[in-house]
Amino acid sequence: MNDEILCRCEEITEGQIREAIRQGATTVNEIKRWTRSGMGLCQGRTCRRLMERILSEEMGIPLKEITPATFRQPVRPIRMGIFSEIEDRDE
Amino acid sequence: MGRSYDVVVIGGGIIGLSIAYQLVKRQKKVIVIEKNEIGSGASGACDDMILLQSKKPGISLEMAMESLDMYKTLSDELGIDIEYENHGGMILIENQRHLNVMEEYIEQQRKYGLTVEIIDKKAVYRKQPHVRQGVLASTYSPTDAQVNPLRVMRGYLSRGTALGLEVRKGVHISEINQKSSGWMVSFKDGTYIESEYIVNAAGAWAAEIGRMVDIQIPIRPKKGQVVITEQIPKLGDTNVWSAEYIVAKLKPELANEKNEVFKHLGVGFALSQASCGNYIIGSTREEAGFDKKTNPEALQLIVKQAVQFFPILSKVHFIRSFAGFRPATEDGKAILGGVENRDGFFIAAGHEGDGIALAPITGKLMADCIEGKQINYNMEELKLERFRQEEVECAFA
Repeated sequence: MNDEILCRCEEITEGQIREAIRQGATTVNEIKRWTRSGMGLCQGRTCRRLMERILSEEMGIPLKEITPATFRQPVRPIRMGIFSEIEDRDE
Repeated sequence: MGRSYDVVVIGGGIIGLSIAYQLVKRQKKVIVIEKNEIGSGASGACDDMILLQSKKPGISLEMAMESLDMYKTLSDELGIDIEYENHGGMILIENQRHLNVMEEYIEQQRKYGLTVEIIDKKAVYRKQPHVRQGVLASTYSPTDAQVNPLRVMRGYLSRGTALGLEVRKGVHISEINQKSSGWMVSFKDGTYIESEYIVNAAGAWAAEIGRMVDIQIPIRPKKGQVVITEQIPKLGDTNVWSAEYIVAKLKPELANEKNEVFKHLGVGFALSQASCGNYIIGSTREEAGFDKKTNPEALQLIVKQAVQFFPILSKVHFIRSFAGFRPATEDGKAILGGVENRDGFFIAAGHEGDGIALAPITGKLMADCIEGKQINYNMEELKLERFRQEEVECAFA
């Protein structure tokens, strides 16, 4: 199994992603749910593109037909004290 | 010729997969039909809790207790770590009125054999050193547990597939027709399959499937928005909820203390830590149709509430939000079982926020129903027919 790390936040390898596809994952969202690739701190900034490419390879379908994983708020991690507009009393 | 199966399970969420797994284990030929992706409805957009304390005393609680027992051995059975953990749970009580409601409530739960007690302020701060000052008391049950629903689904799927389970994803049903013996399910791509039984496990979309066989299923989507934090060390001994969350779930009419926006969004506080360290903060319960977007107003209320309960969370980042549709019924109980005058058509949907907790037992009971086995629960309580059809018409009007 190829143990090169694709998702650096969650330390998921290329091999684990290919294995998930061979076990029936057919979308980027499913790979994500099954492996945690793309679920870390950066929310797939690097690995989502790589997952798309591997999926396209494994399934033999063109990259442009691969639906990207769902994008959700927040765009980048935000401190909850700031987001909630509650002052941090410790500071 | 279309392919032929013993059972067609409609819905590739945790409920449908659990049922399908139980059936292939019993040598049935089964196919799961999923219009979207595995777990793309509520099962992949929820928290991870098997919270017995939130179950209505009665059949829901009894089923949850048996389900929890099934979860304990499921990792071994499926050959995948489903991340079952048992840290207990606490429901934080902020005022005397909630204390009164909760005291009465846990008394009921104890009658059904749940180990749960009210603990005083001192014990609360011992178990939850980071909780805000001024909490009055809390419930505590050592039984509350958690699993990773995504892992559970993957396990059901891979073990099921190894036993012969088939899955068709991204297909849309155009018609369902009753034949002289069995059923025919036709798809928009022109293909069809035949089966002896159909199980409608379509969650929030169960009503849509029901209409294809001319039955009204009173299940509607309640949207739950959830916030995910970065991975941090644990804040306390157990997962926690606010009494208000339980009140909102069981007696929405009593949740009248917060402002209108809170009420409208059905915001209640639930905080649990996944085994990888992310905190999952919930949630809303909104009547918003099938709009799956998260919105900043609701997320801000959820986050604000969390920071108010646990001030230390103000320093923690949130990294993600999502929303799922809890399939809700009028009485808060799932609809499980066969349907009158629709021989071979079964429903297993409407679990609202209890789908993860009740998935294993639902799979077993539905497989028992289909095999015509004796069941130790009063399934009459969960039948579709408990809702009178004319009332259903009103609810849909």
